[in-house]
Amino acid sequence: MSPEQTNLLQGTLDLLILKSLIAGEMHGLGASRRIQQITGGTFLVKPGSLFPALHRMEEEGWISSFWGDSENNRRAKYYRLTKAGRRQLEVETKRWGRITWAIAQALDAS
Amino acid sequence: MPLLVKARSFLRNLFLSRRVEVDLDQEVHAHLEMLTEENIRAGMPPEEARRAARIELGGIEQVKEQVREERLGNWLHSVLSDCRYGLRQLRKNPGTTAVMIFTLALAIGATTAIFSVVYGVLLRPLPYPESDRIMAVFEVTSKGRWSRLADPNFDDFRDQNRSFQAIAKYNGNIASVSGPSQPTRTTVAGVSPDFLKVFGIQPILGRDFSASDAKKGAGPTVLVSYGYWRQYLGSPQDLSQSHLKIDGAVFSIIGVLPAGFRFPADVDVWLPTDLDGENPSRTSHNYSAVGRLRGGVTVEQANRDISAIARRIHDTSSEQGDYLLKNGIVVPLQDSITGKARPALLVLLGAVGFLLLVACANVANLLLAQASARERELAIRLALGAARGRLIRQFLTEAFLLSLVGGGLGVLGAFWGVAGLVGLAPQNLPRLDSVSISIPVLVFAFLLSTAVAAGLGAFTAARATSGDLRKGLVEGGRGQAGSQGSQRVGRVIVATQLAITLVLVVGAGLLGRSLLKVLEVNPGFRVDKIVTMDVALPWVDDPKAKARQAIFFSNLIDRLKQIPGVRKVGATSGLPMVEGGLPDGMFLLMTQNEIPKTMDGFGALLQQKERIGNADFGVATDGYFQVLGIPLIRGRIFDERDGADSPHVAVISESLARDRWPNQDPIGHTIEFGNMDGDLRLLTIVGIVGDIHEYGLDVPPRPTVYVNLFQRPRAAITLTMLNDADTRLVTSAARAILEDLNPEIPARFRTFSQVYSASLGSRRFNVILIGFFGIVALLLATAGVFGVMAYSVSRRTREIGVRVALGAGSGDVLRMILSQGLRTIFIGVAIGIAGSLALTRTIESLLFGVTATDPLTFGGVTLLLVGAALLACFIPARRATQVDPMVALRCE
Repeated sequence: MSPEQTNLLQGTLDLLILKSLIAGEMHGLGASRRIQQITGGTFLVKPGSLFPALHRMEEEGWISSFWGDSENNRRAKYYRLTKAGRRQLEVETKRWGRITWAIAQALDAS
Repeated sequence: MPLLVKARSFLRNLFLSRRVEVDLDQEVHAHLEMLTEENIRAGMPPEEARRAARIELGGIEQVKEQVREERLGNWLHSVLSDCRYGLRQLRKNPGTTAVMIFTLALAIGATTAIFSVVYGVLLRPLPYPESDRIMAVFEVTSKGRWSRLADPNFDDFRDQNRSFQAIAKYNGNIASVSGPSQPTRTTVAGVSPDFLKVFGIQPILGRDFSASDAKKGAGPTVLVSYGYWRQYLGSPQDLSQSHLKIDGAVFSIIGVLPAGFRFPADVDVWLPTDLDGENPSRTSHNYSAVGRLRGGVTVEQANRDISAIARRIHDTSSEQGDYLLKNGIVVPLQDSITGKARPALLVLLGAVGFLLLVACANVANLLLAQASARERELAIRLALGAARGRLIRQFLTEAFLLSLVGGGLGVLGAFWGVAGLVGLAPQNLPRLDSVSISIPVLVFAFLLSTAVAAGLGAFTAARATSGDLRKGLVEGGRGQAGSQGSQRVGRVIVATQLAITLVLVVGAGLLGRSLLKVLEVNPGFRVDKIVTMDVALPWVDDPKAKARQAIFFSNLIDRLKQIPGVRKVGATSGLPMVEGGLPDGMFLLMTQNEIPKTMDGFGALLQQKERIGNADFGVATDGYFQVLGIPLIRGRIFDERDGADSPHVAVISESLARDRWPNQDPIGHTIEFGNMDGDLRLLTIVGIVGDIHEYGLDVPPRPTVYVNLFQRPRAAITLTMLNDADTRLVTSAARAILEDLNPEIPARFRTFSQVYSASLGSRRFNVILIGFFGIVALLLATAGVFGVMAYSVSRRTREIGVRVALGAGSGDVLRMILSQGLRTIFIGVAIGIAGSLALTRTIESLLFGVTATDPLTFGGVTLLLVGAALLACFIPARRATQVDPMVALRCE
């Protein structure tokens, strides 16, 4: 994979994670499954991408984490959106909108 | 806000890394468990479910590592791990590491110590507010010499300049000062009213001089130093009752100056100048001058200003002649204080810099040998995908570790070194008290260590990572890794080292030979077994009082002669080799009938070149010549005939007789030298004595006129006692006699050999230091040659084994190795000689009796260096001849 693709995917990943957390707090696996669900199974986020992204976004202050109990009474680390995270989601959404619009324009042109 | 979150994360990653790690571990494990459960729920058997979960996760450690790489402050972590790795590397070769650290510590320590002296003496600003605006002002004579100022000239400078916001004159002399305590010999300065304004300081107690304190006939007032106030006066807060007796006169203390203010040097008491009125002569140079520049005025502008005033005085004054100023000059006070010390100190700094280079070269060579031993490791790391940048960083890290540890130890050593330097330094080195390991010196040491680290690191990194490292894997298999390339670099380093060492040792050799030449000079007087005694009576003007002082000294000398063991006693106004020396001036050849009636008449005579002579003016007794063993060439020295009322006589030095009376006998001629002591009676020359080097062995003797103390009395003299007895006994006996004659008069005792050897202090200081640097550099360079040769031989063991197996004799092997070494040595020495020829010129001013290109020194040093280097080559070469072909071939 060339670095450009990684970057593009990383941006997408952030957007997807933020979006998945808008519904409420969630642990890593939950977020991963939620993304799978809302993208109709298109994106399967592997732990090797998920965890670095979660930790980076936490350090950015977009999400915060705490330890809680899972649905099966197992201790798991939960993430929730912060105010900055919500703002970031808006920014990312707009940016993504511009990109898809531009790509669509490009594809429409003959 | 996000910044705060980031900072918190950064700090947590850095300082709570354990907790962060545990957290991550639990999180990933929990994730794995949840995946497994999910799979089980989907109907997999537990074993299968676990396996699938692991596959989906993709390796716990890998995930964790990926998270770590994303963390804030990850770079710091990797630096720390580089450090850990570097430390491990350094510990692996404890011997080499110790040698490298010791070498760096020695070089950085020595450089830091020398820098602390250079900083303290030359660079550290004087301890006054805006001290860079304080200037020293001099007259410049027609011969270009800088001299002190005459009163009317100072007044013109003060009144006509537009550059100074304050300008003041000052002098200093020793006086007998007593307060409530015993009389002490104290340095007293006469200063004009603006003196403190020039320095920008205020008394911490009491008041500064006012204009009325300086007026003729004003009540006598003084300022005292903080130290004097505490030590001798008992720190009174109320000064109204404090008085000092200076040379018998009583002064009121009006103020105390801040602690640490002692200008001019060692002064404890300041009093207003000219309480008796000014000296109207424009050629009596009695005062030094300092001024504070106005804001925005540059040194150049001030110079133009003062110079213009000086030239105007020169053009209009009636007192023409060699002693009338021709020009004026303004220099920063700091430069004028430290100017003389500057060349020698800069040479020392340069020398220690060379030592540092030689030491760094040694360390570089050791690092290079290590790096080539590590070529395989590097090749493997590269092959496994390590970035070249990462390897370079590794080398830099190791170099930094070495240099900082070495530098740290060096600075510790420098504390001790500075104490040693201050003890060793010549007494006439100015500002020695401001030499210490201060913050700027520590910053210097740190920057120096960093620069050394960057240099060494960049060098080894560039060497180790250049070229095709994969070859290292191949070549390494045969134990020949990178030998050719790195050995060539090693030889270049050694050649450079030898070149620098040669320059350093040549410098040391030239200075050492200069010292020997100086010591060979016959001073013209005896040094051993002489006790000197400085005595200063109050200064008087009245001829009768002067005559009484002459009688006092005469009695004192008679009493001193009776001390058991004392053979002869003399007195002089100035001992040779003592800072300051004798005053010099212009005398006139004339007879009794030619004495003019008016001062103008003298002015007219001064225009007649054939009547004028220049000489130093010394006051002495007959005993002085006997004690110092100054030979009588012709005529006679002073004796009983020369009483106060008989015709005044003079004895002149040989060089004066030769220069002023060529092809004539000066004995019987009369001269007028009254401008030196105010006594206009003619002096009849009665004898000629040998020349003496009164200003130091390396300064030619000055023409001198000696007058008789009993005819031309003087308040401050030095008594000289030639004795066979114990110095301490003589000293205490002499002290008792003086106290018996007058308890109010303090004296200072020294031995003449102390005075004499102090005069060689700065020369000895330079020779010892540069000699030490030279020896250390020589050892380092020899070690460098040895290291490179030994390494080369060990790398070529197999090759040598093959050669021997094929029939090479031990002579052939020896020749092969030695010729390889010799080439390096000769290149180094050739560059060194060229460099020395170019660089020794910078120390020309410090040399005596040898030229900067002295062939004997150059030849000797070259031989020494080549010899040492050859010896260093010979040992590994010998080892090479002992290579057993079978062992050599098998050992790999």
